[in-house]
Amino acid sequence: MIDWLSDNAGMTGLMFFFSVFCGIVYWAFRPSQKKVIEDHKFIPLKGDEQ
Amino acid sequence: MNMLAEKPNYNDEIVKLFTIATVFWGVTGFLVGVFIALQMAFPALNIGEYLTFGRLRPLHTSAVIFAFGGNALFATSYFAVQRTCRTRLWGDGWAKFTFWGYQFFIVLAALGYVTGVTQAKEYAEPEWYADLWLTFVWVAYLIVFLMTLKNRKEPHIYVANWFFLGFIVTVAVLHLVNNISIPVSIFGAKSYPLWGGVQAAMIQWWYGHNAVGFFLTAGFLGIMYYFVPKRAGRPVYSYRLSILHFWSLIFMYIWAGPHHLHYTALPDWAQTLGMTFSIMLWMPSWGGMINGMMTLSGAWHKLREDPVLKFMIISLAFYGMSTFEGPLMSIKAVNALSHYTDWTIGHVHSGALGWVAFISFGAIYHLVPVLWKRPGLYSLKLVNTHLWISTIGIVLYIAAMWVSGIMEGLMWRSYDALGFLEYSFVETVAAKHIPYLIRAFGGILFLSGSLIMVYNLIKTVRGDAAPEENLYPAEDAGETVHA
Repeated sequence: MIDWLSDNAGMTGLMFFFSVFCGIVYWAFRPSQKKVIEDHKFIPLKGDEQ
Repeated sequence: MNMLAEKPNYNDEIVKLFTIATVFWGVTGFLVGVFIALQMAFPALNIGEYLTFGRLRPLHTSAVIFAFGGNALFATSYFAVQRTCRTRLWGDGWAKFTFWGYQFFIVLAALGYVTGVTQAKEYAEPEWYADLWLTFVWVAYLIVFLMTLKNRKEPHIYVANWFFLGFIVTVAVLHLVNNISIPVSIFGAKSYPLWGGVQAAMIQWWYGHNAVGFFLTAGFLGIMYYFVPKRAGRPVYSYRLSILHFWSLIFMYIWAGPHHLHYTALPDWAQTLGMTFSIMLWMPSWGGMINGMMTLSGAWHKLREDPVLKFMIISLAFYGMSTFEGPLMSIKAVNALSHYTDWTIGHVHSGALGWVAFISFGAIYHLVPVLWKRPGLYSLKLVNTHLWISTIGIVLYIAAMWVSGIMEGLMWRSYDALGFLEYSFVETVAAKHIPYLIRAFGGILFLSGSLIMVYNLIKTVRGDAAPEENLYPAEDAGETVHA
């Protein structure tokens, strides 16, 4: 297993990171969560700064 | 739960200290920059042993990047993390240590530069003892930031904090790996790096490019994502786009370093990898720029009324311009012309002056009245004057460097009919004299603008009211309460 991973580290690493990135994009852009996620943008506008 | 019911007692004393340090080191760094620009135009200004260009150049770069930029990042991250987490900054003593510890590092590094103590690595010049000290300070910074996030009353961690945290963690990793070195003696300043040859070059530019990507980009995007919406009084255009912006920058920037080593001993595949990732960076960079600018969608009139917001939006325009130019210059065929020329210097300054300094000026102008509890700035007219003097200065600077850089690149590669080089090196240097004068003039304008800012800020802190001018109403400035 370790030998296989070290022999194919480049390709497996690329696939792993690309999959994680695709997962993040899916997570952020799920239509069902649009309102929940977009509502976070109001955080800096709540309350005063003093 | 009403998160606004309990008003936290924010630690603004530490933010004030970092803000003062930002302004002080900024003016110092700009002044040294003007002096070395004049040295390039008039070499006779290389006076004595300690004030030569070779020693003052790292003094300038470190002063503007790490002293001005670093203190701006400390100030704004400590300010924004408290407001977006609705909790006091964790560890007053630790935060104070990061302030004095960081200023001590700056002085330690600067003394080394003028006395000739250097690792001779660009943007990583401080020797091992200063690097070690900075490591302690940086770990304290990380702990303060993480503990503040842990104590947050707001359930979600706002995206500006993701950028700040990404900047803190990545800079720590870059600093540790690139500065692994073995001191010659425990009481001596000299050390030798653990890495050698092309590996050392690769690690240096992995560090160097990500110093740009994470120190000068991710950190300042954190500033943008808090201060632009706050100043405009409107939320960021798309929160989902900001998430995509963050992760795509994190995933891509780290691979772009090899474009600094085109046509060197670095394997060709690594050079092509660096070029490819640099070109891919166009998308997240422009996505972020558009996200920042479109925050004003439907409220563009605020740009006309508020010069502080103008600073921020012009900074985004420069961010877009320099992140277009950077990938262009990373293309090997373009790099063959641009590398080692003044074009690179112009590119760096369109990002450093236009993006980093302008977003910092915008944040400082917003912060000072809030921190010192004043109704507004002393004079918005002076902010406007600062804005235009500095913008003209930057345009003169980068246009002069485009002309100078492309001209010298073309002169270096000119051959006559017999295959001999058309120009000697000294002829290319002499040809750059006029652009160097224009560059120095642009720098003087930028420095003058910063001195206007210092005057304006001092008057604001003193609570003076400008004659014949209404202070900017807090209502429109985004300093108002948004429930």
